[in-house]
Amino acid sequence: MATPLTLKRVFESICISSGIAGSWRSRRAPRSRRMIQKDAADQQQGDEFQHAAARCLSSYYSVFVARLAIMIMLAILIGLLTVLTWHFTRVYTTKSLDTLAYGLRYELLQRPLLRMWNIVNSTAEITAAQVKLSEYVIKRYNKPATQAEQIQLYEVMRDVTWAMFASRKALNAITINYKNGFVQAFHRDHRSNNTFYIYSDLSNYSIGTSGPYDSNLISSREGWNDQSIKGNISAIWYREPLDPITGEKIGKASPIPPDDLINIAGISQVPDGVASWHVAVSKFTNSPLLSAALPVWDPTTSNKSIVAVVGVTTALSSVGQLMKELVEVHSGHIYLTSQEGYLLATSTNAPLLTNSSTGPNLVKAVDSDNPVIQMGAQWLQSEYGSKVPPGHVIHVQNAKLGHKQYYMDTFFLNLKRLPIVGVIIIPREYIMGKADERAYKTLIILISASVCILVIGCICILILTNGVSKEMKLRAELISHLDARRKAEASNNYKSQFLANMSHELRTPMAAIIGLLEILKSDDQLTNEQYSTVCQIKKSSYALLRLLNRILDLSKVESGKMELENTEFDLQKELEELVDMFSVQCSNHNVETVLDLSDNIPRNVRGDPGRVFQIFSNLINNSIKFTSSGHIIIRGWCENLDTSKNTAEFPTDRKKFGRAFRTKLKQQANNAMNFREDNKLALCFEVDDTGCGIDQSKWETVFESFEQGDPSTTRKHGGTGLGLSIVRTLVNKMGGEIKVVKKNSPGTLMQLYLLLGASSESKQIYDADFPNTVVVLATVGSMERMIISQWLRKKKVSTLETSEWHGLTQILRELLDPISPVSSNGFDAPYSSREPLKAEMTNIKALIDPVYVVVIDIALLDLSSDLWREQLNSLDIFHRKAMFAWVVNHQTTSPIKTELSREGQNIVVTKPLYKGKMIQLLETAVRGKILGMQNRISSTTNEGNGEEIRGSIANYSASKHQKFRKCSFEFSSICPGESSSRREDLIHTMFRERHQIGSSRRDQPCSSSNSSSNQKRILEGLRILLAEDTPLIQIVACKILEKVGATVSVVPDGLQAVEALNRMLAAESSRRRSLLQGSPSETPDTPRFDLILMDCQMPKMDGYEATIEIRKSESEHGARNIPIVALTAHAMNADEKKCLGVGMNAYLTKPIDSERMVSTILRLTKNMPSEATGTTR
Amino acid sequence: MDVVSQLQKQFIDFSSSLYREGYVDDQFSQLHKLQDESSPDFVVEVASLFFDDAEKLINSMARALEQPCVDFKQVDSHVHQLKGSSSSIGALRVKNVCIAFRSFCDAQNREGCMRCLQQVSHEYTMLKSKLQTLFRMEQQILAAGGSVPLE
Repeated sequence: MATPLTLKRVFESICISSGIAGSWRSRRAPRSRRMIQKDAADQQQGDEFQHAAARCLSSYYSVFVARLAIMIMLAILIGLLTVLTWHFTRVYTTKSLDTLAYGLRYELLQRPLLRMWNIVNSTAEITAAQVKLSEYVIKRYNKPATQAEQIQLYEVMRDVTWAMFASRKALNAITINYKNGFVQAFHRDHRSNNTFYIYSDLSNYSIGTSGPYDSNLISSREGWNDQSIKGNISAIWYREPLDPITGEKIGKASPIPPDDLINIAGISQVPDGVASWHVAVSKFTNSPLLSAALPVWDPTTSNKSIVAVVGVTTALSSVGQLMKELVEVHSGHIYLTSQEGYLLATSTNAPLLTNSSTGPNLVKAVDSDNPVIQMGAQWLQSEYGSKVPPGHVIHVQNAKLGHKQYYMDTFFLNLKRLPIVGVIIIPREYIMGKADERAYKTLIILISASVCILVIGCICILILTNGVSKEMKLRAELISHLDARRKAEASNNYKSQFLANMSHELRTPMAAIIGLLEILKSDDQLTNEQYSTVCQIKKSSYALLRLLNRILDLSKVESGKMELENTEFDLQKELEELVDMFSVQCSNHNVETVLDLSDNIPRNVRGDPGRVFQIFSNLINNSIKFTSSGHIIIRGWCENLDTSKNTAEFPTDRKKFGRAFRTKLKQQANNAMNFREDNKLALCFEVDDTGCGIDQSKWETVFESFEQGDPSTTRKHGGTGLGLSIVRTLVNKMGGEIKVVKKNSPGTLMQLYLLLGASSESKQIYDADFPNTVVVLATVGSMERMIISQWLRKKKVSTLETSEWHGLTQILRELLDPISPVSSNGFDAPYSSREPLKAEMTNIKALIDPVYVVVIDIALLDLSSDLWREQLNSLDIFHRKAMFAWVVNHQTTSPIKTELSREGQNIVVTKPLYKGKMIQLLETAVRGKILGMQNRISSTTNEGNGEEIRGSIANYSASKHQKFRKCSFEFSSICPGESSSRREDLIHTMFRERHQIGSSRRDQPCSSSNSSSNQKRILEGLRILLAEDTPLIQIVACKILEKVGATVSVVPDGLQAVEALNRMLAAESSRRRSLLQGSPSETPDTPRFDLILMDCQMPKMDGYEATIEIRKSESEHGARNIPIVALTAHAMNADEKKCLGVGMNAYLTKPIDSERMVSTILRLTKNMPSEATGTTR
Repeated sequence: MDVVSQLQKQFIDFSSSLYREGYVDDQFSQLHKLQDESSPDFVVEVASLFFDDAEKLINSMARALEQPCVDFKQVDSHVHQLKGSSSSIGALRVKNVCIAFRSFCDAQNREGCMRCLQQVSHEYTMLKSKLQTLFRMEQQILAAGGSVPLE
């Protein structure tokens, strides 16, 4: 069956994708039988996985992207924060620091400049003072006539000058250059801290030379130049060291080359008679000198003439000193240059002068030895070059000199004839060093902090989103599972739809087959043989139809949707039917099928007959399959929970079984306290065979799907291995249990118990006693014989057993021919050992006028030759005294059968002989005896009676006897007072019911309708309401029903059906009321219906609604429920459920099968306590 | 007599061909069984009723399917009716198409429905002509004084 396989696969794939399959599968894996399934499942599973993987991947990507986006946002945020923080801290500090630094720089530079300014000023002042003094002195000694006067003048001048010179320590030199070329000078060497007085040789400037002095006052101006001084090589210069403080001569004057020491300001420097400035260099100082010169005018003369030139020289080294000091405190470099770029002073020790062949020269800043100054100057030049900003003021914050950054600022000091530019270069490090460092550190800290935050944030996000992604993954899986489930459900739906369609489709040809068989059966020209064959075919067809319906159920069993019916049924009948069915199969196998049911099994139980049938048919089928010879026994008994006295009667193995299950049952009883109140019966069964048996290790697994005891069985015996699993499912469903039990002899013993509802009218049937009866069992099957004889003995029926012809004749002769003397000793030779037999024999002898029943198996006859006729003839003599029952099997040929039925007293039964049949035989025998006696008394229609018995018994086919028996009893009881024609009727009824029995369906009515005229009007007097909208079906159904005598009223829809019913109910209730009141007034105009045939799909109101309405109004009126039969084209079981669910009593499918319809109607109406049905019966 | 037996033979052949080709099934023979002296034309009546009914149903189905918005429920109920009446008369092929038709209705498949409708009307016409032939043959047999053989 593909159904469970598919289901399993779907289940498996679901399980696998949800992950639990790992364990599940590994648990199952070792079972080799599942390999194919597993492969299929694997493949499907693979697909499933791919699908899921794709989903997961996409969701993974989306999560990834979201994660990335969040991280990037975080990074940006943190970066922004960092940058902002850094920026604010840095920029503000930098700005404030810059402002500060600017002030500092300005201050720094201002100071040397001020000093410079001071120097220049003081120089100018001194010069001016000297000039004034000189003028005064010269005026005093105007026109020195003599040498002495001249000398005196010079002396005075010397003293005055000394005073000036001494008062100013910073001065380098003061020179007075007279018109006559005489030079007086004080010089202070700052390096050696010596002071010198320098003068030229006086002799050279005699008075004599003063002449030209006067005469050339104006004209000589031009001639009075520096050349005169410098070129005056002939002049001798003297230098005397002086005490620097007192001015006392402390050494001898020594001659020196002129103009070697100091710059003597000459007339050339004051050409226009105003003060002049210039920077000079000297051999003796390493710093440039600032020299100022002023002319001394002759105060006496009106016309202006220069009598002398005063020059003051100040060393600029003090500025350098100052700058050095400043730089030491602060840092950096300061230098002053002239406008042309010559260095005047620097804060470094770099030489400011270079020695060249022409003497020392000033160094340009760009050529300075100090690299910083040099680079600064170069940078300034390259940066600004020619276009120096006005005022030479430049503030550069980050000039890159070498590898360092510097602040550079220049200031301009605009002195007349000596503009000075001051430059300060401060390494940025000095001012901003800390700030920069801090900023750098802050930046690093910030960056590292933000990186840390970023990392932590990312991790947090990762962790957080991990949960999300997991959830998403789970969700994706869930979705895929839902998808899979939906698919599975859809496929399941398709399956059931397919099954429904299939069943529908298959039912159609089946209906055709059955219909054709009906036609064939109704053919009068069939021989009995053919007729029975056709019957058999029909039976099989119905079985097949049943099987089709079972297929539908199977899927339900598998999916656990199956629900059990709960109807009353005859368990024994079901089982007998089953054994009959299988005995045909068994007889070919040389296997005995024995049914051994205990008497305490109630006839009617409540449950699902179809399922019970299925359970046993599966079990028996299974047993037959594996049993090649021997027997199959189905034992059954009712387990009394509270009484254990019955167990004594059971054989030992049964007792064991009882113990095993009883404990379980009692547990169940304890668990379900209402066990008794539920009116449940525990029915135990055993299926015992003598087959190959099942290995003990397989006792549990045989009940699993697709499992078989031995893998080779499939080869040998076929089958799917589904049977037992279905059995177990069903048994469990019925609250029972099944298992394989140990057995001493070879074969298998299956034990099961079922919990079935006890019938409300459960009465023991087999309490009939047959006293005064002797049974001779001459059958081949030993097991069967044993069981029957045991049972008979229990019933106090004397029983004699034999298994061969010879023994039989012996017994018969002994029993029935008591006159014969031979027989008295007949047992001596072969039966001497059988003491019990002998005892039995004597018991029988004691009986008065017993009824003899001789049951003979046809197999005892010698059928190989014609000897059997002889054997039969030899029995003829006993016919008057005993009743013979022949057990035939299916191979028995018709000539034998006809021969057997030739004699009136012969009964023929088919092979499996069980209790039911035995009872039947006994009853027939007893009745025959009574009948015989009655016949003798009344002596009426003996002939007809005989005919009846023979006819009925001869055709006694191997089945149900209850109804027949009932009829027979009925017949025998009414026989004396009835006319023969009435009896004829009854016989026909019996025939009909024989047919009914003959067909396997319980509800199957008479099939050979044409042959019996009685059957025609079987529904005579019934009034049926047909609710059907299709006119065609109306006509057909009416026809069918009218044909069997029913009166039909037709309504086209459910609404009218309800109305009709309501009318009827109202009429009925009014009638009842009037009856109660004692005035019987009939209302004949409203027909009363005995049954409603209800189409399910109708306009206005469908069958279901109509039924609900009808049931409602019935309960309102307190009326009895009228039987409602559904007519529907839906053939599914669910539809049947629905129909029955709304309160309908039965269910018929379209196309209308007349027989089924009639039988259903009969079934529903016959047990009605209605007056209407009473008339027909 | 010769003519009658020939006609009877023809009739049997024809009707068995109807069964064989699946135009009608067992139910049709059941109908024949219902026919008796009280209603000699029962089968013909029923069949003509069926034809009227089916024609009406097919027309209304066609109308319903032509609507821009097909009411499949209505079509389904029509088909159900047709199926019921066809199964009652034993018109096997019509019934089978109806089964397919209903599945298309359930699936709301308009094209499938249209196809089925065509099929149904085709089967219906075929059946009608076949049955008319059959009835004509029956009448011929009766006219010739023979009895209609039961198949």
